[in-house]
Amino acid sequence: MSAGGPINGTPSDGGLINEDTRPRLESWLADRLGAIRAAVSEVSRLGGGAISENLALTLAVEGGPLDGRHAVVLRAAPPMEVSASLGKPQEFAVLRAAFAAGVAAPEPLAACADAGLLGRPFYLMRRAEGVAAGFRVVKSDAPQPELARELGRQLGRLHTVRPGGPGAEGLDFLPLPRNGPALDAARQYRDWAGALADEDPVLAYGLRWLEVKAPPPGETVLCHRDYRTGNYMVRDGRLTAILDWEFAGWSDPMEDLGWFCARSWRFGRFEREAGGIAGRADFYAGYEETSGRRVDEPRVAYWEASAYLRWATIAIQQGRRHTSGREPSLELALTGRMLPEIEHDLLLHLDAIDGGAA
Amino acid sequence: MTGEDLATPLDTPDAAGLIAIALKTFRETVLPAVPAEQRFAALMIANALSIAERELTVREDPALADALRRLTGAEGDVPNLSRRLCTAITEGAFDGRLGSADELRDTLWALTWARLAVSNPKHLNSVPPRG
Repeated sequence: MSAGGPINGTPSDGGLINEDTRPRLESWLADRLGAIRAAVSEVSRLGGGAISENLALTLAVEGGPLDGRHAVVLRAAPPMEVSASLGKPQEFAVLRAAFAAGVAAPEPLAACADAGLLGRPFYLMRRAEGVAAGFRVVKSDAPQPELARELGRQLGRLHTVRPGGPGAEGLDFLPLPRNGPALDAARQYRDWAGALADEDPVLAYGLRWLEVKAPPPGETVLCHRDYRTGNYMVRDGRLTAILDWEFAGWSDPMEDLGWFCARSWRFGRFEREAGGIAGRADFYAGYEETSGRRVDEPRVAYWEASAYLRWATIAIQQGRRHTSGREPSLELALTGRMLPEIEHDLLLHLDAIDGGAA
Repeated sequence: MTGEDLATPLDTPDAAGLIAIALKTFRETVLPAVPAEQRFAALMIANALSIAERELTVREDPALADALRRLTGAEGDVPNLSRRLCTAITEGAFDGRLGSADELRDTLWALTWARLAVSNPKHLNSVPPRG
């Protein structure tokens, strides 16, 4: 969830793939892909996954529908599960639904729920080219309105998938909101905050604000729930893929728009409110082109407030992964220390909503 | 620091002083020589040390405790008053004022500024000063 840093493509043994597991993986792949033979080579670890482990590899397939060489990513479950993230076979099902809906998700190839094969569940998808690191994506001196519009269009396509509707086959495992997505989310954050909600008045205030101001449930659609700069790839200014589907779920479509526009994901380009790349108008226009619905701005504003509480309570949990002693990590510790920044952005947003800044 | 402090007698570098000089040395002599693959980790180390340094030298603004006293009608230090304020907010005592910029919102800002001054003072400069 936190920015994994610019360590893309650091070569390593890959850990999960070794002399023991490679033959097992290759014969499983051959079987799964209907091929005579499958070979795995050029394995290297990809950065950016504070939660999942991603390996880049070349897959050579002989026979079957995928005959040929493919650049792929093997995405494995983390050693320790993180609240709210989907298991790898479920994430694979979401990826399939998104891909089938015409979203630029990496093409899903095969999933393995059996932890016996590599030690953890995993799936394979085609590898997209480009950069994902947020600070690089926002670097361009000129705003990138066409990129923002395209990201809006992609999100609009994803949001055409509804529970029980066409394209939602295989997604029965995703829970439907119980008390509406807004209140469910607020309750979830309160749970994640734990005792800190009794000690930190900004957190207590934000959580209460979400509970009191929650909009009534409206439409429910398939949401990405981590749709933001840093989680898509760009090459030569053009979108190549939307990544990181592990938090997907049924929710209010405006949740993804609020999250995308939150100040936390502008990487210093604060004046470009749509992900640090352009103004909101371009992003919203693209969204309206493909989603078949209008952007509900007050609802987006609510969900942007919700975004800050979500990110704040995720940061708290990341910090706890370190402080608990289970997973000592400087990166996790520093993520835990980001809370005041996130609270700052929350207060700024609430002031803007109320017109109360001054 | 006082001479009564046995852990760090007068004229002996204290924790904040050690961290400050360690950070300066790290930035000036180690960081420039760090290879690209370790640069992210090195920057994290510098960041962690600078947070620790600020945390050891921060002084509490008495105005903050005063504001918390006014809001809660109670006595105590900032952590205690903060806990009381959390309870009041969570129980709904401020529900009628959630959508307005009043003394409560101002106090939340003051708390946040004080914490940001330790964790990431640069973030304070990412917006024009609030009137």
